[in-house]
Amino acid sequence: MIRGLWDRETVALLLLAALLPMALTWLWFGGVAALGRLALALVISGGWHLIFMLARAQPPSLSGALAALAVAMLAPEDLGLVRLVLGISFGAVFGELVFGGWGRNVVHPATVTLAFLGFGFPAFPWPDLDLPVVWAALPAALIGVATGVMPLGVIGGAVLAGGLALALGVPGVALWPAAAVVLVLMVADPVTSAHTALGRWLNGALYAGLLALFALHWADAAPVQMAVAAALLAALAAPALDEAALALWSARRRTRHGF
Amino acid sequence: MGFLVRNTGLAPVVPTPPAVADMVRPTEEAALTPPGRADLRVEMLVEEGAPVAEGAPVARLREAPEVVLVAPMPARVGRIALRPGRKLTEIVLFREAAGDSVTHALPETGEPGALRALMQVSGLWTRLRQRPFGVWPGPGDRPAAIAVMAADTRPHAPDPGAALAGAEEDFARGCHALAGLTDGPLLVCAPAPVPGLTGVRHVPVGPRHPQGLAGICLHRSFPARPEHPVWDIAAEDVVHLGRLLATGSLPQTRRVTVSGAALTETRTVVCQIGADLRGLTYGATRPGPHRLISGSALDGHPARWLAPWHRQVTVLPEAAPAKAPHWFLSALTSSARPRPVIPTAALDQSGGGALPVMALLRALSVGDDETAVALGALSLLEEDLALLDYAVGGAPAPGALLRACLDRVAEEAGA
Repeated sequence: MIRGLWDRETVALLLLAALLPMALTWLWFGGVAALGRLALALVISGGWHLIFMLARAQPPSLSGALAALAVAMLAPEDLGLVRLVLGISFGAVFGELVFGGWGRNVVHPATVTLAFLGFGFPAFPWPDLDLPVVWAALPAALIGVATGVMPLGVIGGAVLAGGLALALGVPGVALWPAAAVVLVLMVADPVTSAHTALGRWLNGALYAGLLALFALHWADAAPVQMAVAAALLAALAAPALDEAALALWSARRRTRHGF
Repeated sequence: MGFLVRNTGLAPVVPTPPAVADMVRPTEEAALTPPGRADLRVEMLVEEGAPVAEGAPVARLREAPEVVLVAPMPARVGRIALRPGRKLTEIVLFREAAGDSVTHALPETGEPGALRALMQVSGLWTRLRQRPFGVWPGPGDRPAAIAVMAADTRPHAPDPGAALAGAEEDFARGCHALAGLTDGPLLVCAPAPVPGLTGVRHVPVGPRHPQGLAGICLHRSFPARPEHPVWDIAAEDVVHLGRLLATGSLPQTRRVTVSGAALTETRTVVCQIGADLRGLTYGATRPGPHRLISGSALDGHPARWLAPWHRQVTVLPEAAPAKAPHWFLSALTSSARPRPVIPTAALDQSGGGALPVMALLRALSVGDDETAVALGALSLLEEDLALLDYAVGGAPAPGALLRACLDRVAEEAGA
């Protein structure tokens, strides 16, 4: 009879609140140029939400702002207006809106945008992240996990597997700033990461494992590029990880209860 | 690991005024109503206006004439409301102060058939609930296990320990009798093992909701299937069974909490089964419109009478009628249903750690009954998903989806 609050927009608002420290730090160091990129991403993303609202009656969601922030922070530099608009539109439409909006998508729209820009325009340099921005990922993860909107398993799995890889001597020290920011912005998204307890830990570990693999064998790639590629593959593998976790759960139940 | 799982859950805040001392207060009216939304075809045994003693049969089921509905107090039959096909809507009874109660002859031998007949004729049978599907068990059914619920974690639920205090002997006698009805184990779900009880399996129950629901306990410890039904019964009713076996008469009372924000005091009342909710809240409601709900604030439904199996009454202030939203906004939100669900920690907790919530929710919302059954939906009822319903804000109503799934599976199993 009574109703709780955890609908889609509450979760989107809490995610925005969690990312706010990082966004503000990034704006502080990025200045007017960063603000311009963020405004552009917000306008394009919002515009597509508006078009889908009018054409397909899909209610717009604040999640568009999450994707816009991730794109503005991580998109390759000096792309120019047309390429950036093209990339953001591709990500918003084919990453999220054609599936029915946030909550029904398979891959994070920002991941799609960044992968598209990386593959489509490989000549443009990827951004270097300021260290204070990277450290701001820590409170973002803490707020997200404490309010329950970011899966603890994904972040925990990534940190554990990443730490293990570094301990084993994988040359990934230069990679960790980009890895941490992408983890908080895109991999720890509650919708596109795995949703079972075991699946989440595997999802996080897979992300870190892919990064370790790229660090060993992918020469001349920028850290952000590697992290985005790892995020894309980890999100695509999430349903399979869930399926495996559920099969294991069923098997354990069968041995315990006999069916 | 088990400790972690048992401690998952939520503690939804349901405001209620301070509690007053327990009271014994049978209401002037009571009614016999069917459980849930089921069509219950009955054959009346009394006429309107006839006097009935406490525990006397009032009606019997058409499909199972052995099972009777009994009067919960000495009364006069006030109104019999049947729909076409003799489907029961309600039988209203008016209490009569001077009336006697029925005493049954106790079975001479300890054979299960005699006990079964005694339970059916005394009205105890209708306090049992069978999973899957949440129905009264058939008169000849033999369950794979029976769960005795000595725990309840719903907000402001009555403490089952209070019903057990001082009645340990009756409880042990009732448990012993129930154990004879099943080939499987008798599960006693309680926070701590009940002292002095032997021959039962103790199922530990955590402190938070939904750990104290029969569905969550059974999903974890003994899942139900159509060919292996599991019964559940509240500890208070087991105490009453023990008393029936000792004295021959079944107490027709129930400890009920009356709570909610529209009250001036929170009450714990010992009243009859099927009590009038207006009688239970008389003199304690705040001025202004309010809603009477049989059941807890999470899983109850608006009602006039205390529903079978319910042990709680909630009184909520009636919200002012919402202003109709702009036509464009309402077109927009209603076209996007069922709304997507975002997996959060709140959702994981509301499954009690027993089931993969998102997988079950997805299976239910796309109507994939096979997957839902594989994930354990047959052990659950609407009340077990009420917390999930609360967490996701009621869209896409997991409880209603589960009921639809159970109805389809029941139809298939019966065909």
